[in-house]
Amino acid sequence: MASQTKPDLGRVLVIGGCGFLGHHVVNQLVEKYTASVSVIDLRCIRNRRTESDGVKYFDADITDSAKLQSVFEEIKPDVVIHTASPPAQASVSVTHELFKKVNVDGTQAVVDACRSTGVKALVFTSSASVMSDNVSDLINADERWPVIRGEKQTEYYSETKAAAEQIVLEANRTGPSNLLTTAIRPSGIMGEGDTMTIYHLINIYRSGKNNIQVGDNNNIFDFTYAPNVAHAHLLAARALLLTHTSSTVPLDTERVDGEAFIVTNDSPVYFWDFCRAVWAAAGSDKGVKGVWTLSKDVGLVLGFLSECFFGLIRKPPTFNRQRIVYSCMTRYYNITKAKRRLGYKPLVSLDEGVRRSVKWFLEQEKENEKS
Amino acid sequence: MAIGPKQALYLLAHPVQLRSIIQWKLWHEPVHKRDPSKEPDTVKSCFHFLDLTSRSFSAVIQELTPELLLPVCLFYLVLRGLDTIEDDMTIPIEEKEPLLRNFKQYMETDGWTFDKNGPDEKDRELLVHFDDVIVELKKVKRPYYDIIADITVKMGNGMADYALNAELNANGVQSVEEYEEYCHYVAGLVGDGLTRLFVEAKLANPHLLGRPDLAESMGQFLQKTNIIRDVEEDFRDNRRWWPKDIWSKYVDKWEDIFKPENRAKALECSDEMVLNALKHTEDCLFYMAGMKEQSVFNFVAIPQAMAIATLELVFRNPAIFDKHIKLNKGDACQLMLESTQNLRVLCEVFRRYVRRIHKKNDPRSRHFLAISVQCAKTEQFIETLFPQQDPTKLAHDGKPGELAQQPNMQVSEAFFLLAAVLGVLFLVGGLMIGSAWLLGARFDQVFRDFDEKVKAGKSLVSSAATAIPSAIRDEL
Repeated sequence: MASQTKPDLGRVLVIGGCGFLGHHVVNQLVEKYTASVSVIDLRCIRNRRTESDGVKYFDADITDSAKLQSVFEEIKPDVVIHTASPPAQASVSVTHELFKKVNVDGTQAVVDACRSTGVKALVFTSSASVMSDNVSDLINADERWPVIRGEKQTEYYSETKAAAEQIVLEANRTGPSNLLTTAIRPSGIMGEGDTMTIYHLINIYRSGKNNIQVGDNNNIFDFTYAPNVAHAHLLAARALLLTHTSSTVPLDTERVDGEAFIVTNDSPVYFWDFCRAVWAAAGSDKGVKGVWTLSKDVGLVLGFLSECFFGLIRKPPTFNRQRIVYSCMTRYYNITKAKRRLGYKPLVSLDEGVRRSVKWFLEQEKENEKS
Repeated sequence: MAIGPKQALYLLAHPVQLRSIIQWKLWHEPVHKRDPSKEPDTVKSCFHFLDLTSRSFSAVIQELTPELLLPVCLFYLVLRGLDTIEDDMTIPIEEKEPLLRNFKQYMETDGWTFDKNGPDEKDRELLVHFDDVIVELKKVKRPYYDIIADITVKMGNGMADYALNAELNANGVQSVEEYEEYCHYVAGLVGDGLTRLFVEAKLANPHLLGRPDLAESMGQFLQKTNIIRDVEEDFRDNRRWWPKDIWSKYVDKWEDIFKPENRAKALECSDEMVLNALKHTEDCLFYMAGMKEQSVFNFVAIPQAMAIATLELVFRNPAIFDKHIKLNKGDACQLMLESTQNLRVLCEVFRRYVRRIHKKNDPRSRHFLAISVQCAKTEQFIETLFPQQDPTKLAHDGKPGELAQQPNMQVSEAFFLLAAVLGVLFLVGGLMIGSAWLLGARFDQVFRDFDEKVKAGKSLVSSAATAIPSAIRDEL
């Protein structure tokens, strides 16, 4: 592999390139591709590459379309990878306004800037959650499953992601330069830089709640190691550039432009087994004996009581019914489409991904303690 | 099937298993039944040797469709003949090698028999009367014969190579690659031959010929499961098939894996072996989806169902390092019932057993997550064969304007609900206590009683408390 020439992507702009997923995209661009890489982020402080890698960083808010336009004009990107979004399940709650402003209006601004500056390919980070109503199971779902919108979509984050995805895909083959677009829908991202999945799970372990299981643990979930998701983005970018050079529209069964792709580690796993693997990587030496199993119904009652309690003391609940529902839900996907059309295959196994993510988390913590 | 007194007691205590046995005995109706009355003597002789040499396969072979009944029986006997030569340590290697490599010539020579097997070789009778097999081989349809001969040559050469491999014979299998190559020669090739026979008879999907990896997986899965289960028996016979590249991660010397003090390590090692076997489940199910006739389906499905159940039995089971374990008869009959119906029922068997494997999985093992993923992937594959969800239907249900589910209660709403429940509870409770009091209940008496008991308890506690220091004093 090393002896092969690195694929050329031209001038690539990564929006949100200092963020969790974005910085993995930047890492791969630097390490595995020939590209002139630029990054836009709110404040380019975290996750920066060293000076010698030649990545150019621009501080910009994507909801400021004038500023965005001027950065686009300066860079003149061939490819734009748009990964920016407020976190879906952060430790601090994000307001609906912010989700809408960044995900919907911001994405519209990105699409406008792409069209007016002759960008050839736009890859957008959507979310596999756009297909979930957060209650019903998704069993081996693929891209034919409907996107859940409106009042059926109980997570506002997913609603805004779906709206943004629609904007991006409808912009396909429009504009003077014939912009090509694609959306990647990852499920359950975790990895180095993760402040959600791994963070929450390690908190549960630290507070000694890892001996509780809700539901029968036969529910299957998809978690995805972030560098694999980044890899899928860049495969999509390559495919779009290739399509862009061709004068004919590809066959429907081979098309990448105007399409959404679900991306996972191709390693569906029982929900609580994933949690236990994270806990084991974080140092837990517990087996499954002595684990309390609560039925989903009991869990829902407890979640409800917790909501009442936190409602009375007027604080956001640390534990609620939606968490119970998630931990009992089946939600896994079939990624045949990404495999066939993008040539996607996870670079790192789920097992190895968990180990690396937890290791990063623990090291990070040590460094923070020192400083 | 003979049942001893010990087993009878066991079955009485396990009525579900007894029920499975009775059901299988009473209700199993073979799709085809061979009719010995119309068979020539040489055919009868072939089936006689099939019964003698195979415990598990004889019954399923004899229920095969008449078109394939004899070809598959002969295929089995030829391979068994090869195996009997390879297995026999009393035959010197200089004699053994040409016998194995040239077996195809022998099986084409009228009247050829072989009586140089040692007296202890359990299947020596087969080769002593091999001329009967040869007679029938000559009558088999040419395409079937060619397949049998081709596999015989390949297996004979493979066995000869193994017999000559001094390094392997002295030290056992080294790498995972060697392990899988061994499984290929003893089982994968059989899968290949059978698939070609099925397709030739138009009883299996011809696309299977374009996916030889699927037939290979069928054989690998059976063989690997047996190798894991038989680890202790093989050790006693001075044989080892677990690859050194795997076990050397857990113990320094092979015999150490059987020592009771190394149980935890041995189990983790067996985890890796089970994980390696589990990777074939999807291929196996895919392969069996290509069977087009019931008796052929049964023929391939029964051993596979037994294998997944055996894999579950050996998984995280320390007993495999102490003794030979096997499925009990009730479970075996239940599995036979379920694997002689259709792919869907068989898939449910696989789902049931991968879930059991996942339930036994231990987070402390380094293979924990990989095993869990492989179990879930098996379930995912079953889902692709028989989807539970239909996207077109879901899309229709999701049409805007239709009744939206509102599963989440508002917190305030729920709070009032709880308040209402508690309110009713207090009201009813109060009414009951009140009416009891009206009717003359002496609550004061109850409280006084309770008070006295508490006081008595306290004095007990305090005397115990004073007793402790004196005990310590005594100790000092």
